[in-house]
Amino acid sequence: MATRAEFLGRIRAEVRRAPGLFPATPAPRPERPAEAAQAVRRQMTDRWPGALERFQEEFALVSGVFHRVGTMEDVPSVIRDIARQKDARGVTSWDPGQLGIDLRPSLEAEGLSLVAAPVHGDNDARARYREAAAAAQIGVTGADFALAETGTLILMSGPGRPRTTSLLPETHVAIFGKSRLLETLEQVGVILEALHAEPESARRGAVVNFITGPSRTADIELTLTRGVHGPKEVHAIFVDSL
Amino acid sequence: MSDQALRTPFSERAGAALRDTSLQQALTLATTKFIGLRKEAFATYPQGERARDQARAIKEATLQRLDHYLNMLADNVERLGGHVHWATTGEEACETILRICRECRVKTVVKSKSMATEEIELNEALEHAGVTPIETDLGEYIIQLAREKPSHIIAPAIHKTRGQVADLFSRVLKGQFPADPEVLTAVARKELRQKFLQADMGITGANFAVADTGTIVLVTNEGNGRMVTSLPRIHVAVMGIDKVIPSMTDLMFFLGILARSATGQKISVYTTLVRGPRQPGELEGPDEFHLILMDNGRARQIASELREALYCLRCGACLNVCPVYRQIGGHAYGYTYPGPIGILLTAMLKGDRAVKDLAHASSLCGACQEVCPVRIDIPRMLIELRQRLDRERIAPLAERVLFKTFAQVLTTPALFRLAATLGRLAQRPFVRGGRLQNLPLVFARWTKGRDLPPVAARTFSERWRELR
Ligand code: SF4
Repeated sequence: MATRAEFLGRIRAEVRRAPGLFPATPAPRPERPAEAAQAVRRQMTDRWPGALERFQEEFALVSGVFHRVGTMEDVPSVIRDIARQKDARGVTSWDPGQLGIDLRPSLEAEGLSLVAAPVHGDNDARARYREAAAAAQIGVTGADFALAETGTLILMSGPGRPRTTSLLPETHVAIFGKSRLLETLEQVGVILEALHAEPESARRGAVVNFITGPSRTADIELTLTRGVHGPKEVHAIFVDSL
Repeated sequence: MSDQALRTPFSERAGAALRDTSLQQALTLATTKFIGLRKEAFATYPQGERARDQARAIKEATLQRLDHYLNMLADNVERLGGHVHWATTGEEACETILRICRECRVKTVVKSKSMATEEIELNEALEHAGVTPIETDLGEYIIQLAREKPSHIIAPAIHKTRGQVADLFSRVLKGQFPADPEVLTAVARKELRQKFLQADMGITGANFAVADTGTIVLVTNEGNGRMVTSLPRIHVAVMGIDKVIPSMTDLMFFLGILARSATGQKISVYTTLVRGPRQPGELEGPDEFHLILMDNGRARQIASELREALYCLRCGACLNVCPVYRQIGGHAYGYTYPGPIGILLTAMLKGDRAVKDLAHASSLCGACQEVCPVRIDIPRMLIELRQRLDRERIAPLAERVLFKTFAQVLTTPALFRLAATLGRLAQRPFVRGGRLQNLPLVFARWTKGRDLPPVAARTFSERWRELR
């Protein structure tokens, strides 16, 4: 095995030998990412309610199911309806603090069981949560961003926000509000630049997932089939008061 | 592909593909569908053309400072608690993974689709070492069960019918499954779910790696990339050094054009950005993250005629439009990467000798360049590759002499006039139905698979003189 110095040395030698095909620079990045992110947020307030309509349209095109409610108090009844439709008994969710609501009282009153993710945990907690997420039929999460251009939900992992809540159950439900709306990939780029420019102490989890509709494949004779590994259904609940 | 298969010459492999009617049907169906979907996707994306230019410029700019960006990527991955390995060859990459397997007592590995691991034949190496690799992309899973190789970069099992898949699943998974894609997909879901939950290690490739943040980017539709990076205790990502890009801003341009080029989707279902192992406070994610940065023949092309092939995103669009690929499919090429770009990548990874015949498996029509999201000039490089084969004396002697003579004749007017006259006389016995067929001697191989137009009764310059 080569060391880093040897490996890069060889590449440097090749790079120096080659003039390059044409003058080129990477895409220009925001100089002050935090300010650029603020500017994006301001742009988005002007795009209301057009951006939400666009999200709805695109989300439907990728087979997402859209719901809109007034306040967080209305969310449990939407989840109950989905559970009834799916004949589901088990629900798992992000930690209530991360989700912005404790679903337990209202779901348990309906005879549904809920396992909320612990904020921190050791190996045992991980194994326990995995088992619960694999057994649950519905996974409830927030969404850090909702990208209108493609109907995409963007979720960041972190304490109390496990990756598998939106992955193992057959139905994924994501809750978000107006401030989460973005319209273009370019804006997502600005926001991600700003997040990564924050000090390490502000760092969250290791993963950012862009989720655009249910899991799908066309690997057998190009026949579109849903839910090959991830969820078969994805719901988005838009909450006006958020 | 096994050495056994490669011992048959390309012309025979191609011939067999042409006689396989079910393959022919599948190829036409799939490639035609992909072409249509791609076209529609770009028609409704006005900024697409600019994004393609930008993406091309980003790839070129990255190559101009490749050592710098790789260094930055490695620093960031290590800062996040990941391990970086530098593999000059495919064997070194395999060895590194096997070493990690031994040290961490790994018995089973789940893999998400990765051309880089196909390229280094990692599955064979793992099996040989007693580790069980399980492909989890549905298409890859099917061909792994069938013990075959992918026939398309993004749709590895397009050569298989639903009936064949049903038979395969019934035999290997011991059941009775109908030829229904929905049912078969559900069978695979159940089968693979258990594997995800039990595996010790997840192996992925990388569609991109962002130097500035140390992020590995995986694009999938099925969600297997997410499973593989979330559940096992070790995650190993294997990437060619050509996959690095500078920043998140750059990444967005690629996300806008990659899926549109590959499947006509605006964006794939899952784009997963992974930074290192499980971070402090997180419940889930691997204990260990390893990034294998692999050269395997790439670096030496930075200053060669094939430089531009290092821009490739592996979207498969150039395969779908290639008149040769559409006829013979992926297997006939005989190596990991098929289609027009595959010829160049094979030359890069396996050496020029490997593409002695393949270099000619292109009509140079230019369709590939037109659809390529980063506008790679594949036809130019194929011509340069042919010249290189000639210079390196890899092309057959007869072919080299023939072309040298041909060039001489074309550039010497007197010789050209003489040749035209002689050609008209000499060709007489071989012209049938207005075409030259079954030429003798060294020319026989040329006309075995194709007809040629005969030398015209009067050359253009003769007619020109008359007209004046
Ligand atoms: S050469 Fe271009 S079109 Fe072909 S696979 Fe690579 S990126 Fe796609």
